[in-house]
Amino acid sequence: MLNILVYGAVTSAVYAMLAVGFTLIFGVARVLNLAHGAFYGLGAYSCYLLTGRLGWPLLPAALVAVLFVAAFGVAMERFLVRPLRHSALAVLMITIAVGLLFEQAMYLLFGSEARNVPAFSNATWSYAGLDVSGQRLLTLGFGIVIIGLLWLFINRTRLGSAILALSQDREGALYMGIPADRIYAVVMAISAAIAAAAGVLTAPFLTVQPTMDLLPMIKAFSIVIVGGLGSIPGSILAALLLGYSETIVAYAVSPAWTEIVSLVAVLLTLILRPAGLLGKRAAF
Amino acid sequence: MRLALLEVADLVVHYGKALALDGVSLSVAAGELVAVLGPNGAGKSTLLKAISRAVPSAGHIVFDGRPLDDMAPHLVVAAGICHCPEGRHLFAELTVRKNLELGAYLRRDKAAIARDLEHVHALFPVLRARGAQQAATLSGGEQQMVAIGRALMGRPKLLLLDEPSVGIAHRLKIAIFAAIRQIREAGTAILLVEQDARSALGVASRAYLLEHGQIVREGLSEAFIRDDRVRRVYLGV
Ligand SMILES: Nc1ncnc2c1ncn2[C@@H]1O[C@H](COP(=O)(O)OP(=O)(O)O)[C@@H](O)[C@H]1O
Ligand SMILES: [Mg+2]
Repeated sequence: MLNILVYGAVTSAVYAMLAVGFTLIFGVARVLNLAHGAFYGLGAYSCYLLTGRLGWPLLPAALVAVLFVAAFGVAMERFLVRPLRHSALAVLMITIAVGLLFEQAMYLLFGSEARNVPAFSNATWSYAGLDVSGQRLLTLGFGIVIIGLLWLFINRTRLGSAILALSQDREGALYMGIPADRIYAVVMAISAAIAAAAGVLTAPFLTVQPTMDLLPMIKAFSIVIVGGLGSIPGSILAALLLGYSETIVAYAVSPAWTEIVSLVAVLLTLILRPAGLLGKRAAF
Repeated sequence: MRLALLEVADLVVHYGKALALDGVSLSVAAGELVAVLGPNGAGKSTLLKAISRAVPSAGHIVFDGRPLDDMAPHLVVAAGICHCPEGRHLFAELTVRKNLELGAYLRRDKAAIARDLEHVHALFPVLRARGAQQAATLSGGEQQMVAIGRALMGRPKLLLLDEPSVGIAHRLKIAIFAAIRQIREAGTAILLVEQDARSALGVASRAYLLEHGQIVREGLSEAFIRDDRVRRVYLGV
């Protein structure tokens, strides 16, 4: 029981970190960013490069990795997405291209073998027959803090109001003098940074490989469909739902069955409630 | 002659191949209330959008001595033109208060913003009580008040008002026109687009008649009220 409770929470936190950024950039800029998994992978690989190849200590490496991916997201928005914004299909294609480019670049630079990223904590936490790595608990803690900070940012700051305004009525926001392009860049930076943070945090206990972007991409996508595209509360709710369902299935049936869970959830959602659990509601 | 606050010359707007504005010229002096009348599809909203730089156009727009032609939309707001659009475009899930605050997005003068919020509340007292309510839960007339108040929060020199009374209960319509008169009396110039020609001519000093993207009449409101064609088509007498 305790196993399910703790491992489910860790998985949910990772999923929420992946999904909020993905849903945010869709809700605000109407960009379905299929390179979102690449942000996650790029976070992990940047951290690997800095610690494993250049010998940096973990903390500065992690920070620089997250900032680098945020800058990468902004550059992608500015130079690849913005010129194509008139066509949703072209934007979709370019994000897929960036995702594939990530995989090829990592393959060429670092090969196909799995890479190690050091953990912030190598301790193990034991309680009532349950063993959890300190890194997993840290991931859970960071996940909660990051999402809490995002909530504060969106609801308590001037830039946050601009994000809300743009997600609810673009033309209205235009007449308020809200510079849409600048806000899109901010949102892209936030979205990329949170995904990269998830990559850095989970890299020690998951595999760092060129194809590592795919599974998180599928998860983020599933969560956002279940929660409702563009809805942050929806994606947090769906992250909890999927995180716990998968953990329960892993314990009750077999870990081999976990990947089926999100696909079933997506199918059920699309059939029963196509707008998602909290469909149409914008950010927070 | 006094230099106009807004001077529009030979404005042309296309939507794809369709011509929406075909060489429109008009002017608004500082503090003046000017009405633009015309049937549905004449290009009235397009005219206001072009002034806000929300749609691309050819021709010239000069505001307060500065050309707007190549200006980004948010700089137009900063220059002092606030647009209360057709259909209101409120931030439906945000509170009334937050909607009003967003109207002052580009301003940093906290004390003056607080004073302007007081002015808006004085103009539309119902908004004070509704402050914590989601904008979408208000009646159409109240939402229109939020939209006008939000535009005023930008502290405009020129207010663009697009069909502020469309689909609104009679009582609220009267309140809205009374507010429009008060806004003008406080010194803000207004370019008012309206289907209800009678109400518009009641508050405007001058008017333009727009049909098929062209100005076909212009003059003082009193002359408009006496104009046979305007009377027949737009005043229904
Ligand atoms: N976004 C648009 N795309 C294509 N055509 C448009 C668009 N907006 C308006 N139009 C067309 O331009 C003309 C003028 O529209 P509009 O300015 O909204 O008129 P009005 O406000 O006077 O009713 C109409 O024929 C309308 O169908
Ligand atoms: Mg119109």
